[in-house]
Amino acid sequence: MSLSIKGNYDAAGSRWNFDLVGEIDISNAHQLKQQLETAYATHPTDVYLDLERLNYIDSTGLGVIIGVYGTIRGDGHKTIIVNPKDNVKKLLRITSLDKVLIAE
Amino acid sequence: MPDTMTLTVPGKPEYVSTVRLAVSSLAAKSGFDVETIEDIKVAVSEACSNILCHSDIGDEYSYRVECTLHENKLEIAVVDNGVGFDAGNYEMPNPGCLQVGGLGIYIIKALMDDVQVISNDGEGTLIRMTKNIRPENFASIGGRETPPESESSR
Repeated sequence: MSLSIKGNYDAAGSRWNFDLVGEIDISNAHQLKQQLETAYATHPTDVYLDLERLNYIDSTGLGVIIGVYGTIRGDGHKTIIVNPKDNVKKLLRITSLDKVLIAE
Repeated sequence: MPDTMTLTVPGKPEYVSTVRLAVSSLAAKSGFDVETIEDIKVAVSEACSNILCHSDIGDEYSYRVECTLHENKLEIAVVDNGVGFDAGNYEMPNPGCLQVGGLGIYIIKALMDDVQVISNDGEGTLIRMTKNIRPENFASIGGRETPPESESSR
């Protein structure tokens, strides 16, 4: 199973843009955690996660995102999910994460 | 006599996706529609992750995924002989209170029709989940051409 994580720091917009491609589960959620934490340590600012090409995520991946949300919220920064597929959106709705992680 | 497919899975995270694919294929063959197949896929994957996270089975051990196709339902049991956890004291997470762990069983119960978690310290874990075959989640794309309800009404 493959996961590609591409992070781009937008200095003008003062935010991180991450493009997540593939699938996230227990086998690779740690990669996401490591990359998000490393990026945030470099430029502590808002984090945008584009899930347009993410086909699958489970509770371990959601757990990583919740962890990042909790960490950076304390610094006054946001974690925002954009473009989730319907199956991912369903999981976010079930867990009520859509209320805090999806932009209006 | 229902058909049963049993997978013996190495206790390594990289095999969870293989289980997911195998069970998805069986669910498609059984005639479930795409959204229901996705629900089953997520639920079985969560069960495998739960086994790997909580049962301390280690790389050298394995666990079983038993899929039984009944006339009107697909039953999936994920079983290990690890250390287990105290299912009696399991508390559903509060969706309003975001936390890193504890979502797996909650998600399984939200997606499947019936879920049993049997686990005691030192005795391993059994997560049994059932998805009923109903006309509304039947895609007529698998081995069966009509839902079981229709067959029985002939």
